[in-house]
Amino acid sequence: MSDERQSASISGSGSLTGGTFSRISISGSGKVNGDVVVEDLRISGSGRVSGTTEAGQIVVSGSGTFSDTVIADEMRVSGSSRVDGLVQAKELKCSGSFRTSGGITSDYVKITGSLRTGADVEADIFRATGGFDIDGLLTADKIEIHVGGRCRAKEIGGERIEVRRASHSLLAGLVRILGVNSGVSRLETTVIEADEISLEDTTADIVRGKRIEIGAGCRIGTVEYEETLSVRDDAEVRDRRQV
Amino acid sequence: MDDEHLISKKEVLEEMGISYGQLYRWKRKGLIPEVWFIRRSTFTGQETFFPRDQIVERIQRIKAMKSEHALDELADLITEQVSAKIQIAFDRLQKLGWLDDSLLEICHIKRQDGAAVSMREAFCLAVLRRVRSAARQEELDLVQRALMDALEKKLMDRIPSGTIHLHLLRKRISGGGISAEISMVVISPEGAIFDPEIEVVTTIDLGAVLQRIRLDLANMNGGRSEDVGEVKGEE
Repeated sequence: MSDERQSASISGSGSLTGGTFSRISISGSGKVNGDVVVEDLRISGSGRVSGTTEAGQIVVSGSGTFSDTVIADEMRVSGSSRVDGLVQAKELKCSGSFRTSGGITSDYVKITGSLRTGADVEADIFRATGGFDIDGLLTADKIEIHVGGRCRAKEIGGERIEVRRASHSLLAGLVRILGVNSGVSRLETTVIEADEISLEDTTADIVRGKRIEIGAGCRIGTVEYEETLSVRDDAEVRDRRQV
Repeated sequence: MDDEHLISKKEVLEEMGISYGQLYRWKRKGLIPEVWFIRRSTFTGQETFFPRDQIVERIQRIKAMKSEHALDELADLITEQVSAKIQIAFDRLQKLGWLDDSLLEICHIKRQDGAAVSMREAFCLAVLRRVRSAARQEELDLVQRALMDALEKKLMDRIPSGTIHLHLLRKRISGGGISAEISMVVISPEGAIFDPEIEVVTTIDLGAVLQRIRLDLANMNGGRSEDVGEVKGEE
């Protein structure tokens, strides 16, 4: 293959065959047939890649569908995107809606929209202010969740886990005052394990850690702590033991 | 798996003096295989257990890695997606006692100074080395071709999610005064059952081989030298 990489742009409706590109831009409706290696992939209309995607940068502001593994340095989804496979991205930012059937591996994940994943999410840092549904383990060194919708993961584990009530949203405030919030904006999981844990609005069967704070709106089955535990009056903890 | 050989996550943390953060980080890096996480319900709720000997040995190795860099290299070797691109220099394989002209020939690798082999080729060499004592020359060739074909079909991706065995089989067929023996190579999840007339020449746990290679290589980078010696002796 020659060193000179091509650049392609689809602005009406069209398709192209996979390969190596410096830039692909889809602003109409476009399809890439086969595996693609691309420095810069931008989808602002409706785009589809029917193979694996290896990219420097992926920006989806329209609708993007990837039918296999996606590997990228940076992936930004502000529209809606679906990946039928794994996602490996150094940085993943999602302000729209993002669905993956496989797991996500990333250094930094930021969710302000909604994320649905059929497997594990692994990151160094995971920040969410939107909602998510992770049908697997959510693990990161640092996990910060501002509960802004329904948040669910099978299990959560890491070094530091902080779950806060999203306080800035006026709507969330109103909803809370009206008392219809319960069950909507919550984090739900079975097990949370980390060295430092601080929770609000969380439902979990088991919380294990060294230093644990159970804050407002929590409903926890069992808390196992090593060093310290504080429980807010309005939090519900069925069982607590120091191990 | 026998309960006596299991250790709970809490016990691992306590006995090895590590934190949740470290354990999860190593899991993410692929340093602790997913299949070692055994979830059980206990009277205190759901708990995770590990095969005791394996997890203790692994964590000791990880803790012996001198720097974060060494740990990353170990992780790179252990996680396939990255290691597909890894080239292993000949001189390192030489030190591990893996290089053998007859095996190199079967794998179609030319011995050159400063040359390198891919992770796949190294894997193939390691498997062949284990099969060699039991197999005939043409069977070695068959194993090599079966493995390369399986690797082409993403075998490495399947290894972490379950035990995969390579069986070398022979079957004698006779009739009309003529008898012939055919050799077969089967790569399958563990638990394959063969008809009683099949002779199982040897069975190799591919996951174990892969782990072994990765740890051997990683130990050469920053680990303890006695491990390398141990590898040389192992056959």
